[in-house]
Amino acid sequence: MAIDSVVYGYMVDEQDYPDKKVIIEENSIGDWVFIVLEGQVKMKKRTKKGVVTLGTLSEGSIFGEMPLFQKRDKARATSVEADGPVKVGILDTARLDREIEALSPQLRGLIRTLSRRFTEIVDNISKLAGE
Amino acid sequence: MALKEKTVPIVHLIYRKGDLIMKEGDYGISIYKITKGRVRVFNEQGKTEVPIATLGPGEIFGEMVFLNKATETRSASVRALEDVELEVWHPARLTKEYEAMTPIMRYITNQTLNRLVRMNRMYAQLLKKKEESGYDTAGSMGLARRQYYRKTVNLACTYRPSHAPDKVKLQGRLTDISVGGAALDVSTRNTNNIRHNPGDTFNVVTELPSGRSLHLSGKVCSVNRNKAPGRLLIGLQFFDLDGETRKALGFFMMA
Repeated sequence: MAIDSVVYGYMVDEQDYPDKKVIIEENSIGDWVFIVLEGQVKMKKRTKKGVVTLGTLSEGSIFGEMPLFQKRDKARATSVEADGPVKVGILDTARLDREIEALSPQLRGLIRTLSRRFTEIVDNISKLAGE
Repeated sequence: MALKEKTVPIVHLIYRKGDLIMKEGDYGISIYKITKGRVRVFNEQGKTEVPIATLGPGEIFGEMVFLNKATETRSASVRALEDVELEVWHPARLTKEYEAMTPIMRYITNQTLNRLVRMNRMYAQLLKKKEESGYDTAGSMGLARRQYYRKTVNLACTYRPSHAPDKVKLQGRLTDISVGGAALDVSTRNTNNIRHNPGDTFNVVTELPSGRSLHLSGKVCSVNRNKAPGRLLIGLQFFDLDGETRKALGFFMMA
C-alpha cells in the first residue's frame, strides 16, 4: 500500500524499530497512533495456549488507532511488533481527536462500533484459539 | 434532491426476541442503531450460525454496505437476542457527512473496516477448523468407538442406570472420553447392587475443568470386572447428544 500523502501532514515524529521489537504491548495503556512508513509489522494476541498472529500490516497501515474511538485508558487489545526492521510515523492524536469530535454523532457512532467490534472479535479469536 | 435528503425520516422498529432482523446475502442499504436490547451478528455456514459479535444499545449494524462500496449484499445476519428497538437510518443521511470527512478520517475508517472484515473471517475459519477436528459425524455407532481420539481424563461423575429408580445417583469416575463415548470406572461397593450389564443405558452427569456441566447418555458396550479388584471398568457409547454438548466435548478434546 502506498502511503497517502494526506497522512504526512499529521505526522509528528518518526521512529525506527529493529526486527521483533515490540511497538505496542498488549494490555498496556497508551494513546499513540502509528503508521507503517517502511517495512511491516505483525499484530499478535495472547491466548491460553500461546501467542497467535492475527495478521501483518504493511506500509501505509495505521495501527494503535483504537483509543481514538474507544476509552482513552482502555488497554491495548493486541500487541504490534516489528517484522523485520521498520520505520513508523506517529500521528498527531490531538488533531485527530478534534476531527472526530467534529463528526456528526451518527458517523462517530458508526466508526466507534467498528472499532469495538474489532476488539470483541479479537477477544473471541483469543478465547477460541486458547481452548 | 437536497430537500428530499432533509426529509428522509428516522424510522423506529421493534423486533421480538429471536426475530431475524437482517439476512446474510440479502440486498439492503439501511443502517440500524440499537436503542434497546441486544442482537447477535453471525455468519451462516450451512445450518450453523457462527457468531461474530453481540451488540447492545448505542451500537450500530448494517454499516458494511454503506462503507464498503464494493459490497452490495449483507455480509452477515443479525438476530434479536431480546426484544429490541432500533432506529433505522437511510444512508442518504450519512452519505453527505461521510464525503465531508477529512481524507485521513476516511482513510482510518476504511482501514478499521477492512481489518474487522479480516478478523471476522479469521474467527469463522478458526471455529470451523475446531469443529471439524472436534468431532466427526460419519460412521456408525459400532465403528465410532475406535474412530475417535480418546482423551485420558479423571473426571468425577454421577450416573444413573435407566433401569434404576429415579432417585438413584451413583458415583464414578470417567477415565477417558471422546465425542463418541467414555470409560467409566466404578467401585463395586458403589453399585448399590444395581445391574451393570452390556446393553444398559446410563445417564451420566459430569463437569469439565472449565466448569461446564455435561449431561451424557450412553449405552454400555463393555463391562470389565477383571482389570482391578473391586472395580468395574465400563465402556460407554454416547447417543442422542445435543449439539451444544457435542460442541463442548469437541472443544474440550482440543484443549
